[in-house]
Amino acid sequence: MSNIALTRIQREFKEVIKSDEVKNCQIKLEPFEDNFTHLKGEIIGPPDTPYQGGKYTLDIVIPETYPFNPPKVKFLTKIWHPNISSQTGAICLDILKDQWAAAMTLRTVLLSLQALMSAAEPDDPQDAVVATQFKQHPEIFRSTASFWAYVYAEAPRNEKMKEYEEKLKQLQEMGFHEKNSRITALSSKNWDLQAAMEFLLP
Amino acid sequence: MEIDDDLLANSDAGTEDDDEFVELAPEQTSAMDGMDPEEFPYDVLALEQVVTLMVDIIKEVRNVVEIPATTTRILLNHFKWDKEKLIETYYESDPDRIFADAHLISPSRKVAIACSKREIKPRYSVKENGEYVCEICYASVPEQLMSGLECGHRFCISCWTHYLTTKIMDEGMGQTISCAAHNCDILVDDETVMKLLSDSHVKLKYQHLITNSFVECNRLLRWCPTPDCGHVIKGQYVSDKPVTCRCGHTFCFACGQNWHDPVKCSILRKWIKKCDDDSETSNWIAANTKECPKCRSIIEKDGGCNHMVCKKCRFDFCWVCLGPWEPHGSSWYNCNRYDEDEAKRARSAQEKSRAALQRYLFYCNRYMNHMQSLKLENKLYASVRDKMEEMQKHNMSWIEVQFLKKAVDVLCQCRQTLMHTYVFAFYLRKNNQSIIFETNQRDLEQATEQLSEYLEREITQEVLRDIKQKVQDKSRYCESRRNVLLKHVHEGYENELWEYLDNI
Repeated sequence: MSNIALTRIQREFKEVIKSDEVKNCQIKLEPFEDNFTHLKGEIIGPPDTPYQGGKYTLDIVIPETYPFNPPKVKFLTKIWHPNISSQTGAICLDILKDQWAAAMTLRTVLLSLQALMSAAEPDDPQDAVVATQFKQHPEIFRSTASFWAYVYAEAPRNEKMKEYEEKLKQLQEMGFHEKNSRITALSSKNWDLQAAMEFLLP
Repeated sequence: MEIDDDLLANSDAGTEDDDEFVELAPEQTSAMDGMDPEEFPYDVLALEQVVTLMVDIIKEVRNVVEIPATTTRILLNHFKWDKEKLIETYYESDPDRIFADAHLISPSRKVAIACSKREIKPRYSVKENGEYVCEICYASVPEQLMSGLECGHRFCISCWTHYLTTKIMDEGMGQTISCAAHNCDILVDDETVMKLLSDSHVKLKYQHLITNSFVECNRLLRWCPTPDCGHVIKGQYVSDKPVTCRCGHTFCFACGQNWHDPVKCSILRKWIKKCDDDSETSNWIAANTKECPKCRSIIEKDGGCNHMVCKKCRFDFCWVCLGPWEPHGSSWYNCNRYDEDEAKRARSAQEKSRAALQRYLFYCNRYMNHMQSLKLENKLYASVRDKMEEMQKHNMSWIEVQFLKKAVDVLCQCRQTLMHTYVFAFYLRKNNQSIIFETNQRDLEQATEQLSEYLEREITQEVLRDIKQKVQDKSRYCESRRNVLLKHVHEGYENELWEYLDNI
């Protein structure tokens, strides 16, 4: 790692630790390994969103040329969001691509991601299935996103989830044993059992 | 060591890397380099002349609008180097808006910002013990090591250098590098870039990027397409006319392709795209080898003439149509026509598409064939040079043998033209004019092949005078046939006689 990148990351750690957001448990940052090139970030699902109360872990890789090139960030926690791949966690956000500026920091990246969770951009999607649902069935999108938050990100339960769990169970009884693919299938098919079954069949 | 900050004269005298901008001795060339009085007027510019031209345009605009040179350059780039448009817009609309559109701080506002600097600075760099903190590397640096643009964002010089190097070397950005701060789109001017860069490699790349964007944007400038040539053709207006670079390459000023008379740029572009799309098939079909029509021996053509004699069975045939050579030798040369009636007979869809492919391959085959021969004529130049030396030993003066070289020149021109006539013919709808065109094409093709054959013949003492006469007559004939063909096509363009096939 270049000298400038290392100094930067060390300083950024201090900045994040001192920041108000950490005090309020909004964001967290810690190294994966000792050498600061691979970091683990954590953000809390922002209030008044389906992700509220969820804990989202992020994988952050710092390039050799940091801060002149952006860090490589993806979600490790599965999330249902138009700009984040429900399969890989890859993120579509301009500041992680061509809009990156050398004066931005990991703290600003984490806060921008939180902002992205509150304000999705369905017209510039990473996950087309989610984006379509977001535009055509906003209600289903919201309950699906909060169901994913409950299942994967330790967010609190709500009433709607009983119905979804029931459908998951029905699919399981039909012989589909993989939980994640059951959830993906039902979510992608707007919780239509028949369609999800066809989706899962080879 | 004295550091000269001027972009165009920039070179650290002591560095080991050669700075091309300075190393190239300014060539004193006449202004009207390739100019033919009746033809399209153009100049061939070396790289440093392009730079001079760029500086001249900047000066010219500056004299009118009175803004700094670096700002002018960015503005000009914004207007695609159309100075008239810039000046016109500058005076007809609000200059402040133009500056904003071009991602610049208006010079009139700079004064205002300078006055309020004290308020702006703390917004962007925190003062710590009399030093500033660079927001990129977080190092505390003294004020004189901080730098920035008119937008007020300031970073340490080392970070600026890293930032610019990344943008230039990794992302290939030249004119469009903006301030390193987030959401700040104010562009970095060239003077600042040159001041902040120290590596001469990066500086050179930056200068190349700037010159390149200047040439690419400018409709009246075109890079010579020859690899590593580096010359630029400057036309006085945009037109599909042939231009010859100092490296000897002749190409079309409008589209940059090899000179393609009589076919138009748009049709040629369509053709090249089609060739690329169908390259698999046509490459396979028009590969370098063919079978002898009689004994099926695989034959590779290694010379320009179409008269083939099979080494194995001594069969004389034509390389293009693979028919016997006999009729070609006489006046009955029917190799350049495609029988349209044949295609009409193809009823079913499959047969139709097959016919379309056949038709395409017919033209493609002939196009490729001339292209291939044209490449082989380079070899012919070498062999002709030997022949010319040989002839000079046989009591001929230098001036007397020049006809041979001239004949090869004519041969190459004819092949170039013939090659493109097949592109033209491919898209042409059959009418009376197209029949005349095809007759001209056939005439020229036949004469060209004969000329090619003469030039490949062994020249002995006995036949020398005879050959000279034949070659001269034939090359003159070719030249005139070529002119007739081109003239006919151009008249057709003027009088709108050509109809094109659609759906190809």
